[in-house]
Amino acid sequence: MAELLQYTITGIAVGMVYALIALGFALIWKSSSVANLALGQLVLISSWFTYGMLVQAKLPYWIGLPLTILFAVFLGWMIERFTLRPLIAQPILSLITVTLGVAYFLEGVVVFIWPMSVAALPRLFPQEPIHIGPAVVSQEYVWAAGISLLLFGLLSLFFKYHKMGIAMRATADDQMAVQACAIPVTSVFSMSWIFACVVAAIGGVLISSIGGVTYGLVETGLKSFSVVILGGLDSFIGCMVAGPIIGLCENLGGGYLTPLIGPGIKDIIPFIIIIIVMIVKPYGLFGETRIERI
Amino acid sequence: MDLPCGTRNYDYARDMAVLRTKTHWVLFIALLVLLFTAPLYLSNSWLSRCNLIGITIIAITGLNILTGYCGQLSIGHAGFMAVGAYTTGILTGKLGLPFLAGLICSGFSAGLIGLIFGLPSVRVRGFYLAITTIAAQFIIIWVINHWSLTGGFVGMSVPRASIGGFKFRSEASQFYLIMIITAICILFAKNLARGRVGRAFIAIRDNDLAAEVMGINLTYYKLLAFFIGCFLAGIAGALFAHWTGYLNAENFTLTDSILYIGMVIIGGLGTTLGPILGAVLIRLLQQGIMYISPVLESTFPAIPAGFTSGIAPMVFGLVIILFLILEPRGLAHRWTLFKAAYRLWPFSY
Repeated sequence: MAELLQYTITGIAVGMVYALIALGFALIWKSSSVANLALGQLVLISSWFTYGMLVQAKLPYWIGLPLTILFAVFLGWMIERFTLRPLIAQPILSLITVTLGVAYFLEGVVVFIWPMSVAALPRLFPQEPIHIGPAVVSQEYVWAAGISLLLFGLLSLFFKYHKMGIAMRATADDQMAVQACAIPVTSVFSMSWIFACVVAAIGGVLISSIGGVTYGLVETGLKSFSVVILGGLDSFIGCMVAGPIIGLCENLGGGYLTPLIGPGIKDIIPFIIIIIVMIVKPYGLFGETRIERI
Repeated sequence: MDLPCGTRNYDYARDMAVLRTKTHWVLFIALLVLLFTAPLYLSNSWLSRCNLIGITIIAITGLNILTGYCGQLSIGHAGFMAVGAYTTGILTGKLGLPFLAGLICSGFSAGLIGLIFGLPSVRVRGFYLAITTIAAQFIIIWVINHWSLTGGFVGMSVPRASIGGFKFRSEASQFYLIMIITAICILFAKNLARGRVGRAFIAIRDNDLAAEVMGINLTYYKLLAFFIGCFLAGIAGALFAHWTGYLNAENFTLTDSILYIGMVIIGGLGTTLGPILGAVLIRLLQQGIMYISPVLESTFPAIPAGFTSGIAPMVFGLVIILFLILEPRGLAHRWTLFKAAYRLWPFSY
């Protein structure tokens, strides 16, 4: 029983972080219908950047973490401006593969600057475990989930009330109409990439402050795809709901299936979920089913 | 634009021929002579590079049929190669089947696994399919790493290829084997692309809904594309297994899959020539980087330690991005432009 509760709480907490990263994907997809396959590498590079700032440059938190956010803003702007902007209105195949090129490039940059493959971030959160009923849960997970929820709240307020947020929602709805209303669509694209990178960076820092900075972070980013797929590509609520589900499946499955099937099953459960969702309900729980015309 | 002036089609067979003019024949025979005498003047290390290029061309040709002709993006091609490689490893290494049987079986097993992961393509496309194939890549590699039959993380050794008692031990003999199979695969792809199946693929790529309305069976042709593409990947994987002699899942990573996509794009999607150009260019670039980075590192000590391993992905990523932005039709398109230009030279108007 204690085990079950522990897996559940950890699963939901990790799932919230996945959901946060997935939100970055959904943002870009909604506003510009570009599928960002470089998500994992964005998580990776911003985690390493944090490591560089906090450990290598020995900056205090209140400088190092805002610098990471700034770096993410810069990264998002650069990627949009120099790779996606020239490809506006190109076939979807080019749009997907160009993000693969970006992914490859970013991974090269990481290997180039930080050739060691494993590093530890300083602990950002208190470490004493919390006792919830019979379960013992590391406090870090609860903090991570809390911060993710807070960011979700802030972002949804932004989309609801801020002018830019409304413009971004409008762009997602109809690009032509938005352009006719004199909203600069390109800067909306830019903003969505910047937001996605910032969100990925925060998710990366949360995950790597718990598990350390490794190349496994790329897989963490890829696992967020299962959140997007399960929740439906263009739905923010979908991310919120599907994130904890994926986290739960991963942790419960990892906990109970490992003795039966073998170690490492935890890492491919999200990918198995992707395949199942694809076959059963390809547009996800909350996704919009597209009706196509010639 | 494809042919020089004055080439006429007197009958259908001549219209359809691959080699049309005297120049074609001369160049073709020169290429054959060059390939067959290559082991005489190429060193072993260069032969092994040629072998790797040949294997890559087979895999990329499969990916080109799937992505370039049929428009179904697959980011799990290295995983499908791994299926082929391990199939032949198990069949020839553990069960003692002959090489040719192993080769064919690995093609079929990779094709079948491709079919299974290609099933969602009937309902979804674009990004959804890309994600499915990424999932395929991870699941396949996980199974390989955790199954006792495949040797797990340790890997497994594979015997050298042999046909009728002749063992392909030296690099030169393997060169002949790989080049012949590569040539067969390229010819197959060329003929497939200009026949009924290829035209159906192109119609599906351009607009699958319209293709369906025209009477093309979408389910059948999409799954066929997956089968053929993964079949060729399986063949390439099997050749790779027999060529290296030792298999490990490290040889078939997601990074490789992305690199294969990059090769197809750089060469030119939907052309027969594209995969050849892309594979040759990227593999030579890889060799060049491997050769030049230690030299650079020793002459400029200020370069950070990750230079050697980090520069290659950076260059490839950059090349993929630049090609997509500047020349999305790839090197093959440049080559046709060049041919048209020199045929009209000096009166190019």
